[in-house]
Amino acid sequence: MTSVSAASTYLGIYRTMQLIRQTEEELARCHQRGLIHGACHTYVGEEAIASSVCAHLRKEDVVFSTHRGHGHALAKGLPPSELIAELFGRQTGCSRGRGGSMHLFSPEVGMMGTSGIVGPCVLQACGGGYSFKMKKIDNVAVAFFGDGAVNNGAFHEGLNMASIWKLPVLFICENNQFATEVPFAYAAGNPSVGSRGVAYGLPGLTVDGNDAIELSRVASEAVERARSGGGPTLIECMTYRTRAHAEGMGDFGYRTREDVDGWKQRCPIQRLRTNCVAEKLISAADFDAVDAEIKKLVDEARRLAEAGPFPDPATATQHAYSESPRSSTTPIQNVRPAATVREITMTQATHEALSEEMAKNPLIFVMGEGIGKRGGNFMTTAGLYNIYGPTRLCDTPICERGFVGLACGAGMTGTRPVIDFMFADFVLDSVGEIVNQIAKMQYMSSGRLKMPVLLRGCIGIGHSAATHHSGNYYAMYAQIPGLKVVVPSSAYDAKGLFKHALNSDDPVLFLEHREILSIKGPVPEGEYEIEFGRANVVRSGRDVTVVALARMVHLTLSVCDELEKSGISVEVIDPRTVLPLDIETILQSVKKTGRLLVVDEGFAPCGFAVDVAAQVADRGFNDLDAPIKRINGAFTPTPYSPPLEKAVVPQSDDILKAIRDLMNE
Amino acid sequence: MPFEITIPRLGWSMEEGTFVRWLKKAGDFIQAGEAVFELEGEKAAQDIEAVDSGILRIPANAPQPGTIVAVGAVIGFLVAEGEATPTVGSSNPSSAAVNQASLPKPIALEPKVVEPVSAPAAAPSVRRLAREMGIKLASLEGSGPAGRITADDVRTPISKRPLTTTASAAPAHAAGVASPRARRVAGELGIDWRRLQGTGRDGRVRERDVRQAASGPDSGTPATVVSVSSRRRTISNRMMASRDRTAPVTLTTRVDATNLVSLRNQFKQAGSGGTIPSYTDIVVKLTTLALQQHPMLAVRDEADKWVIPEMPDGLHIGLAVDTDDGLVVPVVHGAGALGLFDLAKRTLGLIEKSRTGRLTVAEMQGAVFTITNLGAFGIDGFTPIINVPETAVLGLGRIRREPVVIDDQIVARDQMTLSLTFDHRIVDGAPAARFLQTVSQAIENPSAWLLRGEG
Repeated sequence: MTSVSAASTYLGIYRTMQLIRQTEEELARCHQRGLIHGACHTYVGEEAIASSVCAHLRKEDVVFSTHRGHGHALAKGLPPSELIAELFGRQTGCSRGRGGSMHLFSPEVGMMGTSGIVGPCVLQACGGGYSFKMKKIDNVAVAFFGDGAVNNGAFHEGLNMASIWKLPVLFICENNQFATEVPFAYAAGNPSVGSRGVAYGLPGLTVDGNDAIELSRVASEAVERARSGGGPTLIECMTYRTRAHAEGMGDFGYRTREDVDGWKQRCPIQRLRTNCVAEKLISAADFDAVDAEIKKLVDEARRLAEAGPFPDPATATQHAYSESPRSSTTPIQNVRPAATVREITMTQATHEALSEEMAKNPLIFVMGEGIGKRGGNFMTTAGLYNIYGPTRLCDTPICERGFVGLACGAGMTGTRPVIDFMFADFVLDSVGEIVNQIAKMQYMSSGRLKMPVLLRGCIGIGHSAATHHSGNYYAMYAQIPGLKVVVPSSAYDAKGLFKHALNSDDPVLFLEHREILSIKGPVPEGEYEIEFGRANVVRSGRDVTVVALARMVHLTLSVCDELEKSGISVEVIDPRTVLPLDIETILQSVKKTGRLLVVDEGFAPCGFAVDVAAQVADRGFNDLDAPIKRINGAFTPTPYSPPLEKAVVPQSDDILKAIRDLMNE
Repeated sequence: MPFEITIPRLGWSMEEGTFVRWLKKAGDFIQAGEAVFELEGEKAAQDIEAVDSGILRIPANAPQPGTIVAVGAVIGFLVAEGEATPTVGSSNPSSAAVNQASLPKPIALEPKVVEPVSAPAAAPSVRRLAREMGIKLASLEGSGPAGRITADDVRTPISKRPLTTTASAAPAHAAGVASPRARRVAGELGIDWRRLQGTGRDGRVRERDVRQAASGPDSGTPATVVSVSSRRRTISNRMMASRDRTAPVTLTTRVDATNLVSLRNQFKQAGSGGTIPSYTDIVVKLTTLALQQHPMLAVRDEADKWVIPEMPDGLHIGLAVDTDDGLVVPVVHGAGALGLFDLAKRTLGLIEKSRTGRLTVAEMQGAVFTITNLGAFGIDGFTPIINVPETAVLGLGRIRREPVVIDDQIVARDQMTLSLTFDHRIVDGAPAARFLQTVSQAIENPSAWLLRGEG
């Protein structure tokens, strides 16, 4: 590095550090004055890390951060006024008042978000790296995280995935020696984070996190390695935060004033300045000019932030889901054409949907265990590996949390992951990634990030699969705003809904009942999509409405003819998507029949049937000629032995009896 | 010396009442004349005013809201600054002697909005039932423990209760339950589901029971199904609403209409091509004058409050008009402020519009009182139905020349029957009768009343 370019780099880093320091100190003052409505974790003392790393990043490179993320956001280019306005809860904040300190988003400058959860940024950075690999561009993804994250599964799973797929990722551990107030020396069996790189087969090193010059050198190398295909680097930066964990918290229960004062003497900003002046690289006057410029900038930013309007309460639910207009040109065909001859299974139907969409859209990739060469446990991807290769059909280690978190980061950075988790039970390890990250990402980023992630897998009781291969989890996911939950019952529906999911910008749980995967049904040759939130009237009837999902639709249909003979005409409605739920079609049917039975293989408490029943009791009360009845699976883990298993699943006789009872009410 | 706050007697027969709530907080300084607590007597709840001044002290054993207290019971004290609070005697406060001296002044009716009685104690399911039946809990007496209102109290139609409720009047037991859909269909078809035998579980009335009842007896006799127009449906719903929500009582009286007939003849003779006021027009005008003296008869029962209109500008009078499509009630807006001839012109226009189906929605809304005239059909007395949310409706019978004894002489006079139906929830029999008396006097001397102007 020439001395001129070094001077320019260091002055830039100094400027960023000052911007962070002065903004944080201003925020601390504002917190005291009550202008900040929630938590505020400052980055004071650690400025060198974000500043030196980001000095080597391009705007297109992406940063994923933690709860202590103000510095990362500013270093990546977020204007301080947007940061302060966000903490003030203003519409002009970087997350439009939806995030606050721990959910700072500015995808326009590659700031992909801070997070209130420790760990996910490691996985999301892997996802960013995976997107760049998919798109064959030399951008880099960076995860900043504290020492508290490195004993978390996400760290282990993320570093391993980045290593095996040689992802262009920097893992920057800011070891400030406390996870909130728990000392790292206590929490880590191996107190050296840098040395852990070896365990995952990637370069790992430990540097002085308050030495901006050394950090800059190390970061520059790591970024270069990532861009050139050399894969990830783990850098442990030894540092210290010289303010409390969060503003307003006490600071001397777990560390001493002397410790803190000692580290204040090692201020990275002063250190860089002193070194550069001593080396005659940069004059004191130049530094003073920067200090004055930053002071003006921060004062102005704070003034701007305070002048910003609060968001309109009427928009409080806006951005939970994507509002982008439909771009797919495939025709919508919610009702199956009557004259459909060809019959295929549900598995073949979704395979067809996936094949058609992968051919059209090079940004789609599939991840899961055994979905590569093997073609999927349920033949969901059979033959596709040979066409699209290992990057688009990516076999994974058994690390559900890891690859679901990766999918989140991939979705944030413009690719379209399909996560095939075989059995829905397996993905419970990654529920935090689904609920806290994937579901909330569009909202937290005020709609500026999309989350086109399709998560598919099997549900349903049968064939002695026992309790780790049989859960019905649709009701659980249907309680989470931001998700969409599809539970198809036929090949026709499965194909149309799957294709719609792959053309939507929202995350979709696509839950396939294993017991009906091989049931054949008519599916036309041409392409079509089925919209979400449109129920299917599977059978028309007069006397009683039965709402059912997946296998329960088939079970209900099996008793309708017998009931018809005794003069009871049954209307069967399959909502097809639990979220959004087409309650209007159900209400219309109840208006006609006056009676409602919901058949739900899932559990009763707070479940799908409960929701349907409650909504009909509310909005269709005057149409009811009898109480609403529900049939649910028994409230117990799924047993193995066939007679036990049979006893916990609704049977056709149960449905028959319930309908007869309903007619006698 | 501390002043006692006691339970006053509201009305002559009251022995106990329901303590509703304190209107002031313990420690507040109360001026004599300020309302201190709310007490529910036999017919209404009232704000009870302090008769003395002092700092309010509420003893620990003072009655809780909703409890029954005896007249005369001491429930609190007004003390001077620094004065100790006496304790209520260890004897049960509800057994305290009646203190005649503590009887409050009669409470004058003066606010424009009369707050209805706050709802007495009742289980949520009973409250729901009352809501569904459009019955105000405050209009009921509870037969349950501690005066709690039971489902039976709600179901027993108030109209079937004796005029003055007495403890001995046992509620007639009504039918059980109907599905929501059955109730809805029953409403649409104008059928009282409570009279039906349900075929559902535990005798629940279902839609089929209602429809069967609607289609009449199961005999094979041929019948014609009448198609129901939307006008008819509206009339049907409004009649049922009236029956469900009001406690109607009809008073009839005979009135001498000789002067009314003569006045109209004078108008006719003096007429120069303009509109000649009809008998109904004249009675409308006279009624607005009478209403100004009896404002409670002009109350509109709007959701949770009873509203007395502005006098005379807000006296909008509904006029029942028979048309080929059924009954409509156009409203003469501002009838109270209109001169008789303007009023006559207005009603003529409204009647014309009614018969040609050109009434606007606005022209059918806002009435505070309705007048219906069946005299043209030779009817004398009848029981008109209150046009909810109004309080009363006046029916006019035919005018007929009849022999009448006056000063022991049989003379020919024009006679007419008036039928006044009023809502006993809102007005009692005596004030309603006084109103009818006023109307009668006005009809007997119409010229004087019209010339005198405001009631």
